[in-house]
Amino acid sequence: MAVGKKDIECPPYAEGTPLSDADINDKKVTYVEDHPDIRYSWTAGQAISKFLNGLKEGKILGVKCNKCGRTMVPPRMFCELCYKPIDGWVELKDTGTVETFSISYIDPDARPLPEPVIVAVISIDGASPHMGIMHILGEIKPEDVYIGMKVKAVWKGEEEREGAITDIKYWKPLEG
Amino acid sequence: MIEKIVNPKELRHWDGKIELYWVYTSGRAGDEFFKKLMNEEKFLAAKCKKCGKVYFPPRIYCEKDFSETEFVEVSGEGKVRAFTVARLDAYEKPLEKPEIYAVIDIDNTDGCLIHLLGEVEPEDIKVGMKVKPVLKPKSEREGKITDIVYFKPI
Amino acid sequence: MVMEVEKISGLKFHKKQDVAIVGAGMTTFKRRLNETGRELSYLAVKQALEEAGITIDNVEMVVMGSAPDTFDGFHMKGEYLLDGAGGSDRPYMRVFVGGGTGVFAPIAGYWHVASGLADICLVVCEEKMSSTHPHPQSAFKYIWDPILDRPLKPNLIWIFALEMRRYMHVHNIKHEDIALVSVKNKANALDHPCAQVAERITVEDVLNSEPMALPVRRLDVSPPSDGAAALIMVAPHIARQLTDNPVWVTGVGWALDTTWWTNRDLYFPRYVAEAAKMAYRQAHITDPRKEIDVAEPYDPFDYKELHHMEGLGLAKKGEAPILTREGVTQRDGDLPTCPSGGLLGVGNPISAAMGVKACELYWQLAYRAGKRQVAKEVTTGVCQAWGDLMQVGTVMVMSNKR
Repeated sequence: MAVGKKDIECPPYAEGTPLSDADINDKKVTYVEDHPDIRYSWTAGQAISKFLNGLKEGKILGVKCNKCGRTMVPPRMFCELCYKPIDGWVELKDTGTVETFSISYIDPDARPLPEPVIVAVISIDGASPHMGIMHILGEIKPEDVYIGMKVKAVWKGEEEREGAITDIKYWKPLEG
Repeated sequence: MIEKIVNPKELRHWDGKIELYWVYTSGRAGDEFFKKLMNEEKFLAAKCKKCGKVYFPPRIYCEKDFSETEFVEVSGEGKVRAFTVARLDAYEKPLEKPEIYAVIDIDNTDGCLIHLLGEVEPEDIKVGMKVKPVLKPKSEREGKITDIVYFKPI
Repeated sequence: MVMEVEKISGLKFHKKQDVAIVGAGMTTFKRRLNETGRELSYLAVKQALEEAGITIDNVEMVVMGSAPDTFDGFHMKGEYLLDGAGGSDRPYMRVFVGGGTGVFAPIAGYWHVASGLADICLVVCEEKMSSTHPHPQSAFKYIWDPILDRPLKPNLIWIFALEMRRYMHVHNIKHEDIALVSVKNKANALDHPCAQVAERITVEDVLNSEPMALPVRRLDVSPPSDGAAALIMVAPHIARQLTDNPVWVTGVGWALDTTWWTNRDLYFPRYVAEAAKMAYRQAHITDPRKEIDVAEPYDPFDYKELHHMEGLGLAKKGEAPILTREGVTQRDGDLPTCPSGGLLGVGNPISAAMGVKACELYWQLAYRAGKRQVAKEVTTGVCQAWGDLMQVGTVMVMSNKR
């Protein structure tokens, strides 16, 4: 085995050939483009199925574990901290508190949005403290949102609801 | 234990797609190979400077001893090592005309290529048969493996 | 400042042999590279072998760290990369824990040698994010829950923005103090030959840059990159033959938190603290702030460096911005942090970020970092990576004294 020859002055040395957008668009290098057709059908599972059916009826459902005493949302079949099945379902209120928020100017593909979207983590009243879900805020100007603000869910009409997280259109500030 | 939902109508699912597409660059070795094929109709392989193994398609490194390789020209002709006749397409629908796929050992290299065989009927193919590549006309070539239309018997 | 006792307990640190690092290498990090994933792995491994002074025949086992197949667009990406990563005809495995892979792959390499199964293990990380279209960020759409999150059309930046807002709120930190990290790291990266976005900017540049998801702005974020990095880990008797100055791995730790990230308070990375506790216990470190000489925490966003410094115990909760403001984390300060320029300055090819975390720590402790070498004498350092939906903490402690 060779004795170590550390004669490289200051590692690393940069290797690799950078390309720009133009190099691809002008076909300066060869490449292959592939547009796959990949489709999925995900099962919601026991807990989220019931949660979605509850949303269709205009209710937010949570679950409770008697060992650690938490009431959890989004609901799950087993408590992940105690690692045992949950002990029962609870109907929660449709009001909550803003735990944190952000004002987004980009869409999922990093393209700019015409109007900013306000996303927040909202802890639901009736569940244990800091049990939050992620959702959108509406009927409020971005500069007026603050952590600790109380909000209420704005639901779609009964015929429009389909049992999805979007059955709640957004959350608006609670007056008073 | 609480009761589970068993009515299939109440069990929910969600449909979605993976909406991405990919652009794969050919890489240093691949770029040389496809450009030579597209512009000059010549085939390149890569020979390891240390152990002499000839890689086809070419690579910039030898996978056994990690030393550099140098490009060498080869004719692109070869022999059929194995073949199969496909009568259904990728979605299991019948093809109009059966397609013949073969593993072709390329002459003067230690490598091989998987490609179509053409201008031959399935019953006439034999393992060890000599074949040569047929390329698209120069104006239609794109710098991809499909610039070779198929291999035909010599 | 003593680490709080948290949940992980009952750990035993039996090992057959110590582990040393004797060589490292990396390719340049750029938005788009021509080379394929295999060629990038080869270039990084070649450099690491040269520095260590061994050939590929001496390597006994190989660990590859690489992010989801979705980025490169190859199913079974680990197997695809095998021949370029030196994996032909030897035991080869692929590991992945999101962004934490940059330090998790060396930890997996550590297992190979510390267990006695191998005396020489090669660790490679490679990423080619540029293959993903329309934008590498689009692949991150699939990290979200399909039923509860994706219908709201989220962007990955949202989780960082929500965490940053919470961190700023709980400790009352201003964006100006956080922006100092971006200024520092991008300036540090000017001395790194592989850097993608090294530049001299000011706090005003950061605060005026394009808003992405407030409070996050464009200059708060590291770019997607292509690149590869490699490390050579060996047993003590091999290290003795190769060099007089090996760098020893004295502690490793990794921990994950629950996927229900909306049920957690995001202002403190508990999972990083757990992983650090594990690594510090193995390395016999009780006061990280005093005993760590140089740190490479994971900095995909500027506030993340501060967040992780607190998780690693290098600063009390809420005090990391004060250390930055006072210059303690500069290269000539008392606790140089991200002297390489980190991800904000050099680039973020997910797992290949090993090049600016574990590899950089090795170069610093071996006094081979050239212009990036920190001013003070260094004995012990820590590098850390983070990943997924704010879940993974991976930590490695190294020392040049055994």
